[in-house]
Amino acid sequence: MSARDTHAEVVTLVRQTLALPETEPISPPQLFFYDLGFTSMDLLDLLFRLEQHFQIEIPEGTIYHLARGDLAEAEFAEDAVLTEAGRQRLMDLLFDTPRELFPPRIHATTLPRFCTVGAITRLVDHKLVAKTCSN
Amino acid sequence: MFELIRSISIDTEKGRASGEAFVPADHPLFADHFPGHPLLPGSLILELAAQIAGPLAEESAHANSPIERWAILGMVRDARFLRPVFLPATLVINAEISRSQESSINTNVTVTSEGERVMQAELVLMLLETAPEWSKAIEARNSRLARWREAS
Repeated sequence: MSARDTHAEVVTLVRQTLALPETEPISPPQLFFYDLGFTSMDLLDLLFRLEQHFQIEIPEGTIYHLARGDLAEAEFAEDAVLTEAGRQRLMDLLFDTPRELFPPRIHATTLPRFCTVGAITRLVDHKLVAKTCSN
Repeated sequence: MFELIRSISIDTEKGRASGEAFVPADHPLFADHFPGHPLLPGSLILELAAQIAGPLAEESAHANSPIERWAILGMVRDARFLRPVFLPATLVINAEISRSQESSINTNVTVTSEGERVMQAELVLMLLETAPEWSKAIEARNSRLARWREAS
């Protein structure tokens, strides 16, 4: 499946989540919370739709684990707040999110709110590749 | 509306719960729904289902973590109302965990009346960490659950 196809399907699911008409433009740089007005429940709803549609699993903490990568837990976050190294890792992962949106102190439970539509599309692509490799 | 639940049994190992509710025809809540033809609104069928799924989620979460959680109904997905429920009615409610995460638990619920399925849905229960100031509410919940359990 090409990245472009994934994006179109993600956009359809985003529209369904917010009950938006097909004419409503949704583009990769748009931020779920800041541009599209998502709430945390909307995001949860979208994740369920993505899982069901693409037959993948996106467990809680996925963004956290992807951002942390091979960094030790203690180096990535302290008391559930990202360290400077952790914050940098998050900004690298979410490279299309404007840097000024990342506050100095980022709580580990708030990471999805910094995602763009493009970031979620990349996440789905990543999961699809992993699924193909495991089959 | 907690008074409508009659009994509950919870099996955290299997991730299942079942319970029974009795809704009388003369309950003041349904006086206008509809005069002379009492019909249980779908929203209240969901509420009764959540009253069984909620304790299941709380006890399942507690079995996996020492932190006590309070479950609130966060989302209803794929709800289907299959038959009208005319009152009085006894409802049998079954809930089964389909997904468990640190902050939420999904349950598939089915509600039957007189052997016929009247509603099915997926309920997403959000798990909140309890706070000391909730002690009275927690005490009331525990007392309610003990009563329901005893009746099952």
